Amino acid sequence: MSNAIIPLLLDSLASAALIFFAAVGLTLVFSVLRVLNVAHGSLYSIGGYVAASVCLFIASRQLNPYLSFVALLFSAVFVAAILGPLIERSLVRWTYGKSEAVQILITFGLFLILEDLQRLVFGVQSLYEDSPMRLLGTSSIGGVVYLNYQILLVAMAVLVVVGLRLLINHTRLGRLITAVVTDREMAQSIGIDTNRIFILAFSLGVFLAALGGALATPTSGIAPGLGADTMVLAFAVAAIGGLGQIEGAAVASLIVGFARVLAIYLVPSLDAVAPYVAMLAVLLIRPYGLFGSVTARRI
Amino acid sequence: MAFNGISIVFARCLSLLQLLFRLDRGLPPANRRLVVDGLAGALAIGLVATTPVAAQDKPSSVGLGVFTFTSGPAAAYGMPGKNAADLMIDEINAKGGIGGVPVTATYVDEAQGAQGVIAEYRRLAGDAKNQVMVAALSSATCLALAPIAEQLEVPTVGWNCDTHQLLIDGKSKYVFRPNGNTVPEFIAYAIYLLDRKPDVKTVAIINPDYAFGHDAAKIFTAALKALKPDIEIVAELYPKLGSPNYQTEISRLTTARPDVVFSNLWGADLENFVRQATPRGLFTSSQVILALGETVLQRVPLPDGVIVGVLGDGWWMSPDAKANPETVKFAEAYKSRFGEYPVFPSIKMANTLIYVKAAYEAAMQKNGGKWPTRAELADAMKGSKVATLTGIVQTRADNDGLVDQIVGVTLKTSAQPFPVIGDMVRYKGDSLLPQAGQDPLAWISTLKPEFAKGLPKPGSYKIGER
Repeated sequence: MSNAIIPLLLDSLASAALIFFAAVGLTLVFSVLRVLNVAHGSLYSIGGYVAASVCLFIASRQLNPYLSFVALLFSAVFVAAILGPLIERSLVRWTYGKSEAVQILITFGLFLILEDLQRLVFGVQSLYEDSPMRLLGTSSIGGVVYLNYQILLVAMAVLVVVGLRLLINHTRLGRLITAVVTDREMAQSIGIDTNRIFILAFSLGVFLAALGGALATPTSGIAPGLGADTMVLAFAVAAIGGLGQIEGAAVASLIVGFARVLAIYLVPSLDAVAPYVAMLAVLLIRPYGLFGSVTARRI
Repeated sequence: MAFNGISIVFARCLSLLQLLFRLDRGLPPANRRLVVDGLAGALAIGLVATTPVAAQDKPSSVGLGVFTFTSGPAAAYGMPGKNAADLMIDEINAKGGIGGVPVTATYVDEAQGAQGVIAEYRRLAGDAKNQVMVAALSSATCLALAPIAEQLEVPTVGWNCDTHQLLIDGKSKYVFRPNGNTVPEFIAYAIYLLDRKPDVKTVAIINPDYAFGHDAAKIFTAALKALKPDIEIVAELYPKLGSPNYQTEISRLTTARPDVVFSNLWGADLENFVRQATPRGLFTSSQVILALGETVLQRVPLPDGVIVGVLGDGWWMSPDAKANPETVKFAEAYKSRFGEYPVFPSIKMANTLIYVKAAYEAAMQKNGGKWPTRAELADAMKGSKVATLTGIVQTRADNDGLVDQIVGVTLKTSAQPFPVIGDMVRYKGDSLLPQAGQDPLAWISTLKPEFAKGLPKPGSYKIGER
């Protein structure tokens, strides 16, 4: 087993990176809008579908394969630009200030609509496009061959955590978001356009979800049902980290990734339940999550 | 009509009881009436459905309920089955249908889960036009539907249904499986592996986490241990069905450094696994066995030397298939209509429809040309021997089918743009199956290394040598 320690740690990091991308948008949206978006998983899979479709188009036209990296990013931007404002203005804004039950019911309805929409647009067969993965090649670490793309994903996850923190702490938009999160009414009274902040924050959440799906595409297949699986995992991560906590989502992703990988290496039959066992253990000790608190709201 | 009347009276009695115990307290009177009428209707349908259809005139069409996955990751396996059904039904109808009656199919998506599938089955069975159900792909669906088929007395033909548990009690009257089951399917891989790689010492397994994956692992392991007792299983992984990412599992398999990796992943799961494992060198560090590997040959660039098979004899390029003009015609028509050659789920579905058609013809021959009842159809299936596109299927006393098993390795040729199966062997269907009623795992444990010596060897199945 000693020869498996390095692979175990590397796999945990790679797994955590994918999980983080699935969860960070959910937690960001909750922190600003106080809405638990059940449709978040669908936005993740739509990002994956769009990215895979564009990459397949690039491959079919024999364009420069490195364009597929650009396609991954721009697919997420495209999904966020279209669906972010559309969903926020048409549905989510009606849930502000409503009970959690209403918010969950409305976003669950949206989840069902988006799932069927994906079947309608992208069909029921799985999509797979791995040219970005193939372009980057492999590295042998600890006697195990890893995809360099997996290492890139870890770097991207770190970049997103740092980027979000910089955005919130060191930009005007970040300070406006912080003001709205801290006291919505006070922010409105001093002239902050909270509607605009909500649209931007929700679209940023959609972008992160779609980016997660797009970045996962080269190493995973995209098929109907992915949204539901992603959603459940994202909730577990958000609960462990503390709803609304970006660093919490990062640490929780590491915990969930490590728990899952450890299960696969040592007790494979617990693979599927390992993330939820970790969630249960954390919530028993800290019911508001690792970084959460009863009253204070931070992002 | 009498049954309708009885059922309505029965429903009214139930509704009186319901009123007596105030079970509908929350419903206004108008809704109460709806409940009563709904219950009456449901019971009427139920009683009609359970009524054996009497010998009758020819219907305007032969209805088939065809159960398969048309959505979700499993559609990668289910859609080729549906495509084959569409094509085969068109071919049957072009030749005059069954006994002059055209065939129609109603497709049911198994992805909706057991409750939905059972409800659809009951609904279809309630229509006397649907005399036979072609159900199903998933072993879980088949196990859920089998008792309903017996209860409603509807001949139900498993077009895939691999689990050996389906007909294990030998008491089924209406459920048939003209395919192999998990026992011969996975023993075949153990024998082929030991013939091809006799010095194998360590094996790792990665199968889907449900009955099919666990059963296959049990059978394959038991057969290996019986035929070569010093073999060690160094890892057993059961990822969730529909899992999109296998990177951690691939790392785990690599660190176990097994001589052989065995998998019966299928559908999109198999495609994902192959695409992710290939660049990470799993196919070069270990001998890989993909029990359902033939289904991805045209879609994924599998390297040479991977042991693959077709869980039966349904390889469209096998020597027997190539020698059969009907099969060649079917394969070309399939390619022209769907853009790729049929994979073995397509052949299994086509063979099942041939089996159903043969049962109709046998039943009509037996009863003097009259349109058969459901019971007569089931009788015709018992003990039948039917020539299919790829061989012969013989139905045993327990309604299980005896089908040959083809196994080989992937091989690139100049004839096709995708790998084909080479170094093939074709094991006789009855040589790898215990007698009806015998516990399969207990039977496997009695096998000795000498058992394999009398069986054909890799490379023995060639054109003109059977």
